[in-house]
Amino acid sequence: MMRAGPSQEEIRRHNLGVLLRHVHLGGPTSRAELTSRMGVNRSTIMALTADLTAAGLVREELPKETGRAGRPSLVVRPESARVYVFAFDVGVDRVVAARVGLGGVILDRRDAPRERGPFDLEALTAQLAGFAHQMLRDTAPDAVCVGAAAAIAGGVRAADGMVKYGPNLGAFDVPFGEELARRLDIGLPVAVGNDANLGALAEHTRGVGVGCNDLIYLHGDVGIGGGVIVGGQLLSGHAGYGGEVGHMVVNPGGRLCGCGSRGCLEAEVGERTVLEAAGRAGGDRVGRDAIRAVVEAADRGDVAAQRALQRVGDWLGVGVANLINIFNPEMVIFGGMLRDIFLGSAAQVRSRIAISALAASREGVRLRTSALGDDATLTGAAELAFAGVLADPLEALARVTSN
Amino acid sequence: MSETTSTDLGVTPAGRGAPGSGPSDDARPILELRGVNKSFGPVHVLHDVSFAAYAGEVTALVGDNGAGKSTLVKCIGGIHPIDSGEYLFEGKPVNVHSPRDAAALGIEIVYQDLALCDNLDIVQNMFLGRERKNGIVLDEDTMEQMAAKTLQGLSVRTVKSLRQPVSSLSGGQRQTVAIAKAVLWNSKVVILDEPTAALGVAQTAQVLELVRRLADQGLAVVLISHNMNDVFAVSDRIAALYLGRMAAQVKASDVTHAQVVELITAGRSGDLGLTNGNGGAEGKEAP
Ligand SMILES: Nc1ncnc2c1ncn2[C@@H]1O[C@H](COP(=O)(O)OP(=O)(O)O)[C@@H](O)[C@H]1O
Ligand SMILES: [Mg+2]
Repeated sequence: MMRAGPSQEEIRRHNLGVLLRHVHLGGPTSRAELTSRMGVNRSTIMALTADLTAAGLVREELPKETGRAGRPSLVVRPESARVYVFAFDVGVDRVVAARVGLGGVILDRRDAPRERGPFDLEALTAQLAGFAHQMLRDTAPDAVCVGAAAAIAGGVRAADGMVKYGPNLGAFDVPFGEELARRLDIGLPVAVGNDANLGALAEHTRGVGVGCNDLIYLHGDVGIGGGVIVGGQLLSGHAGYGGEVGHMVVNPGGRLCGCGSRGCLEAEVGERTVLEAAGRAGGDRVGRDAIRAVVEAADRGDVAAQRALQRVGDWLGVGVANLINIFNPEMVIFGGMLRDIFLGSAAQVRSRIAISALAASREGVRLRTSALGDDATLTGAAELAFAGVLADPLEALARVTSN
Repeated sequence: MSETTSTDLGVTPAGRGAPGSGPSDDARPILELRGVNKSFGPVHVLHDVSFAAYAGEVTALVGDNGAGKSTLVKCIGGIHPIDSGEYLFEGKPVNVHSPRDAAALGIEIVYQDLALCDNLDIVQNMFLGRERKNGIVLDEDTMEQMAAKTLQGLSVRTVKSLRQPVSSLSGGQRQTVAIAKAVLWNSKVVILDEPTAALGVAQTAQVLELVRRLADQGLAVVLISHNMNDVFAVSDRIAALYLGRMAAQVKASDVTHAQVVELITAGRSGDLGLTNGNGGAEGKEAP
C-alpha cells in the first residue's frame, strides 16, 4: 500500500516551523526575502505570517530604513519579549540560568560560581530553579515560556535525559532533568544535553559555524568534550553518548583519566595536566583563570609554562588530526578553555596536524575559536529548548498555554 | 612522546599528500607582486620579491628584524615607490605611487604606530583624514552611525562609548579602532604590521579573532607577526622573508613550526626556500 502524500495541514504546519526558524535564526526578515528563501509564493508567506502573528510568535512592521524606492516589504520579527525559554548551563566551575527570547536574545540571566566537590543534585536543582523563579517575577504577564533545557558537562542518555556520567562534576546516574523540571514546576519538562554537543549546535546555528554542515566543536572545561555535526546533523550515537572525543585514547598507558582509562585526550590536554606540567598544580587558582595564567606566564617567558603549552598543544594536535582523518570536517572550533590553549599553542597544534593528518582532509579544514565564547553551551541549551516550538509552532504553543 | 614535540621530531609533512589539492589552489590572488626590487640609496633592501594575498585568507608575512617586512608593506601601500617589478591588483597591472593610490584600490595598512589622535574620540579618529570622500561632507550623526555599524559588523563589543577619547582606550581597543578605520570604506586588502606586538594575552586573542573575522568576511588580510602561535592560529598562508628575499610562500596547513623557523633564520628548510647560490632568490612553492 502506498503512503499518501503529506496533507495540506501537514504542509502548513511544516512551513510555519520553517518560517519561524528563519526569523528565529536570521532576525527580522522581509516578506520578500522569506518568499525567495522558502521558495513559496507571496500569498503563502502572507498566510503563514498571519497565523504566526495571531499566535503571538511574530510581529510585522515597516522596516526602519529602506534604501530602495517603492513600497517597502513588511519585516517579520520574532516576538522576543513575549515568547521565551529557560536555558541552564552546568559547568564545572559555573552554573547559569537564563531567560532567552525567541530570536536568541538573552533577556535575563543569573550566573553563579560552582564549588568543586561532590555532586549535590538537590542543592543544584534548587539553585537553578530559584534563579528561574526570580526571573519569572520580572516577566510580563502575557509572556509565554515554550520550553526549558539544560547543558551539562556529562554524558546524557538520549532516551530520558539521565546524566549517566560526568566525572568532572562527580555526577553518575543522576536524573538531573527530571529533578530540575520538578523543582521548576512550570508544567514543562527540562530537556538535557551534553554541553559540548549543545556548544556544537550553538556554533552551527548562531556562531562561527553558520553555513558549515560538517564541523566539530571541542569544549574545554577541566576535561574536554566534543560535539560533532555531520551533514548538518548532530551526531548522537546509539544511546546519545556519541562524539565524546575527550575520551579518545591518544596515548595508551598515558596519564590516568577521570573516566578510569589512561591516555584519553582529556587526560593529556585537560586542566590538571596543563597545571601540573606548568608546575602550578595545587595552587589556589583553578579553571579558566588558572589556564589563562599559564598562557600569560608563557607569553612573559616562563619556561615551564611554555613547555606545558607545547606539550598539551602537541597532544591536542594529535587528537584533532585523528578527528580530521575520521570526519573530514570543514571546521574545528575550540571553545571554553581550549580557546586559550589553542591560541597559546597553535604552532604546536598545527605542526602536529601537518604531520599526522591526511593532506586531502587537512587542507580544507578551518580551525577557529568559538564565536559565542562563554555563552556557547548556554546558547545551545536555549536552542534545544526552542526545538519544540520551531518544529510545530501552533501545536507547541497550544500545549503550553493549555497548562 | 610525552617530552618530545613535533617541532623537534624532524618529521615533515612533505610528500604525504597530493600536491595542490587545496581548495584555494586555483584562486587568483587579489594582490600580487612579482620580482619587486627596492633600494634606499646604496642599500638594496628588497631583492626580486614576489608576494601574493588572497581574498578570504590571512597571509602571514614573517621574517627576522630587518628582513624587509615593513619595507614590503610600505611598497604595497604606496609610501615607497618600487624600483622595478610588477604590481598587480585583481590580475591587472597597476601603478601605486602614493597611499592615495593604494586606498583607491581598496588597500589599507595599519602601521605599527597606529597613527591615532589621542585627544580625538573614536568616531573622529575613524574619519580622520577621510571626512570628505567623493566630495560628500558627512555630518557627525552619519559618521557615528557608520562607525557603530562597522564595529558591530566586526562583532566588536569591548568599546563602551564611541565618543570616548582614544587616550582612554587599552592597547587592544586602540588596535581595534585602527583596524575598524581600515575597513570602514569597504576595503579589499588590509595589512597589519605587528598588531599584537605590544598587547597582553587577552587583548592579543581579541585582535587575532578580529583578524580572522575580517578574512572570513571576504577581505584579504596580511598579518606581520613574530609570534609563531599567532601566525599558526589565524593564517592560511605564510610568506617568509629572509634578508630581503622571499624564501617561500607556503600554505600554513603544509608546514610545521620548525620549517617556518628555518625559513626565517636560514632562508630554507629541506626542499623549501632559497636554493644555494641563488642570486635571484626564486621562492619555491611548498610541495
Ligand atoms: N627609509 C629607509 N632608509 C634606509 N634604509 C631603510 C629604510 N627603511 C628600511 N631600511 C632598511 O631596510 C631593511 C629592512 O627594514 P624593515 O623593512 O623595517 O624590516 P622589518 O620590518 O622586516 O624588520 C633594514 O636593513 C633597514 O635598515
Ligand atoms: Mg617592521
